[in-house]
Amino acid sequence: MFFTRKRNGTIVVRLPDELRQLVATLVGDLRELLLSDDDQRLRRLYPTAYPDDEARDAEYQQLMHGDLIESRLAGLDVIESSLDAVELTPEELTAWMQATNSLRLVLGTQLDVSENDTPLPATHPDAAAYRLYELLGMLLSEMVEVLGSTLPPSTS
Amino acid sequence: MSAPGVAPVEVDEPVDDIELDADRPWVVLVWNDPINLMPYVTFVFQKLFGYSKEKATRLMLDVHHKGRAVVSSGTREKAELDVFRLHEHGLWATMQQDD
Repeated sequence: MFFTRKRNGTIVVRLPDELRQLVATLVGDLRELLLSDDDQRLRRLYPTAYPDDEARDAEYQQLMHGDLIESRLAGLDVIESSLDAVELTPEELTAWMQATNSLRLVLGTQLDVSENDTPLPATHPDAAAYRLYELLGMLLSEMVEVLGSTLPPSTS
Repeated sequence: MSAPGVAPVEVDEPVDDIELDADRPWVVLVWNDPINLMPYVTFVFQKLFGYSKEKATRLMLDVHHKGRAVVSSGTREKAELDVFRLHEHGLWATMQQDD
């Protein structure tokens, strides 16, 4: 386990240096991509809100698109300031989780993954990207499991 | 949705200029996609809407098997905020007025 929750609620991080380095690189890449606002690569990060109403959707995008970028960049700031941390607060790990999910969305879109994908042969040109996608999925699963145990009791 | 509803007590407020169309509640839908992980989707429903793990899992499975599920409803403003928060978490959410 890379992430474990202590009784006091903080989360202990046991990521090997090469994984921390990878996270740092990916966070830098994602920041650059978010700032470029490349529609095609980022399309899964900014879905249509009103599929039946073009005018309202344009209004929604105009109002919210900037806020979504800001919120994602703020999350990357949190990761960059806690990259070497041995302990994270649930809020910090939430920023890690959201960025990891954004990276999976970008990479999954690029790889055009489907639900029944089988692993690619090692010689396939996308094999390395697919392995990274799987690694991000594994990290994300762990983060979700740990953060799930920090949720307050449900209201319904 | 099966959120425990509290019946409105104040009913004597004068309401003029009722737009029937505006009265129809908005629903927020989440659509199936091949990328988001099932436990992640469940977690996001729990976190954003305060749903129990059971309810959040049921909704996630609806999304997965039926292609979509209504995850919240209310005024247009509330629905838009919910859609925004779902988009913030990378979920494929849309909104429409209930039929």
